[in-house]
Amino acid sequence: METLQYLMTGFGVALSTTNLMVAAIGALVGTIVGMLPGLGPINGVAILMPLAFALKLPAETALILLAAVYMGCEFGGRISSILLNVPGDAGAIMTALDGYPMARQGLGGVALSISAWSSFVGSFIATCGIVMFAPLLARWALAFGPAEYFALMCFAFACITGLMGDAPVKAALAAVIGLSLATVGLDSNSGVYRFTGGDVHLSDGIQFIVLVIGLFSISEILLMLEQHHSTAGIIKATGRSLFNLKEMAYTWWSTIRSSLVGFVVGVLPGAGATIASAITYTMEKRLAGPDNRFGDGDIRGVAAPEAANNASAAGSFVPMLTLGVPGSGTTAVMMGALALYNITPGPALFTQNPQLVWGLIASFFVANFLLLLINIPLVGVFARMLQTPNWLLVPAILSVSAVGVYSVHATTFDLVLMSVFGVVGYLLRKQGVPMAPLILGFVLGDMMEQNLRRALSITDGDVGILVESPISIGLWVLSALMLVVPPLMRLRARAKAR
Amino acid sequence: MSDRVLGVACVVVAAGMAWAATDYAAPISYEPVGPRAFPLLLATLMGIGGLWLIVRPSLRGNWLRQVPLQSLAFAVAAVFAYALLFETLGFTLATTVMAVPVGMAFGGSWKQALAGGLGLGLLLFLGFDKLLDVVLPTGLLSFILGGR
Repeated sequence: METLQYLMTGFGVALSTTNLMVAAIGALVGTIVGMLPGLGPINGVAILMPLAFALKLPAETALILLAAVYMGCEFGGRISSILLNVPGDAGAIMTALDGYPMARQGLGGVALSISAWSSFVGSFIATCGIVMFAPLLARWALAFGPAEYFALMCFAFACITGLMGDAPVKAALAAVIGLSLATVGLDSNSGVYRFTGGDVHLSDGIQFIVLVIGLFSISEILLMLEQHHSTAGIIKATGRSLFNLKEMAYTWWSTIRSSLVGFVVGVLPGAGATIASAITYTMEKRLAGPDNRFGDGDIRGVAAPEAANNASAAGSFVPMLTLGVPGSGTTAVMMGALALYNITPGPALFTQNPQLVWGLIASFFVANFLLLLINIPLVGVFARMLQTPNWLLVPAILSVSAVGVYSVHATTFDLVLMSVFGVVGYLLRKQGVPMAPLILGFVLGDMMEQNLRRALSITDGDVGILVESPISIGLWVLSALMLVVPPLMRLRARAKAR
Repeated sequence: MSDRVLGVACVVVAAGMAWAATDYAAPISYEPVGPRAFPLLLATLMGIGGLWLIVRPSLRGNWLRQVPLQSLAFAVAAVFAYALLFETLGFTLATTVMAVPVGMAFGGSWKQALAGGLGLGLLLFLGFDKLLDVVLPTGLLSFILGGR
């Protein structure tokens, strides 16, 4: 009951004229960013975050904007998957498998509309999940002390490393690099300057925006040099532009199942939309029995991954809002955005700043409706935008990124540092080092060190406190399982294949 | 570039971090764990990760071969030049200058890239600086666009 009351307050915030407008803009921009191959939710959020700050938007408005962009990206990625066979973002890889064949069979309009619908259902179910579970989790997490927090953060890293698949060592290295970058600057406990090289620009630490834009926007531009896909192969959405009731009924249970799985995967720290859509696609394919047309234009193969990636995007807000530990790279960036406003997400946020939390949650519902409204009729307009040539698009990305970085401190130093991170990020990504753990490490670095030091201060240096409470022990065990089980399962699968 | 190069780079950075961090000590300390421990812990982990990559690199081809090195060099140079000229030339001119090599690296003709860059520079300047109040440098064009 109390929750409903809070949710109503939240709708009051989300439906104010400014926030409604901001959500609409975010939904539109997000769809476009998600649709453009190479640009995903992290890029969209990273580029808009400094602008939101520079425009002096209040915290909840800025967060609503970024959340709408995030959700919009998960909606938009499907458009290029279906029409171009090039996923617009990582979460839409699976959508291309059946979406593109459907488009070639003249069912492009049906694929686009059913995927918009299942995206909507996925987001809606996951947002309901947030409403139900987030307050409970937040109340439980209030009991966390520094030792529990330290264990929780280690668990987040274990998840992101263990689930990263083929390169766990590189994922772990990425996390360590991120944590190390976070130590640059003044150590507030002792007044010691660390790794600044005596440069006054670094005494405050590395600016989050500079790092994120360098690692994602600039390095993305350099990576795009290698992609030579042309938009010549774009398929015009023909035939019916809307799915019929039979198709809706046919995909209904796939959509519901995938939404639930997507939400759970999204809540797990570290596992994001990509994993969620892959899991559900495989699951639905298996459930469909032997005479399915998966891979050949099965409509369920479009509905399932789209429901899942949207559900996991919404789900990844749960650990960020309730525990202060982001569930995906994009929510990690958003946590950095909140830090600009001096807001630290965590269980206390629900009691101290209900306006912000519930306004954000209510805005998920609002943005979701807006996205469904703009995504079905406007799909033709978006498809035309997909034909923007790269020689115009890339300079535009670069200049908007630079505006974002410059707007925070107005120094050339930040722009140069952004370029350096761009090159470093490019080299690391070429080498197969994932960026999501790095950004998670950077966001959590300070908190992790502070909690470790605080915990050890309590016992005057005795590390025993880290494994004292049942919660910590549970988290350590889970972390160990996360690190050990996926590689073992891979080994078994490989042995079976032989 | 193979995993071994990355591994060596990690070990070198880790050694540098450890070397720098050993000097970090609080003048007066109230806590058992000072500013040195966490960086040293991270340096150790990074060193172990680097060594792992040196000992057990994954077998992958040399990716440098597939990279269009010439356009990559152009793009990187353009990004740095853009950063350095951003304030001196001002946003509009710097964007125009940046867009030519970048646009050409992405398959545009120099005319298209130049026109696109100038258009972007003017449009974004008007949009951000005049409309949204995100102050951008005007540089050499300050006599027309105002500001510094």
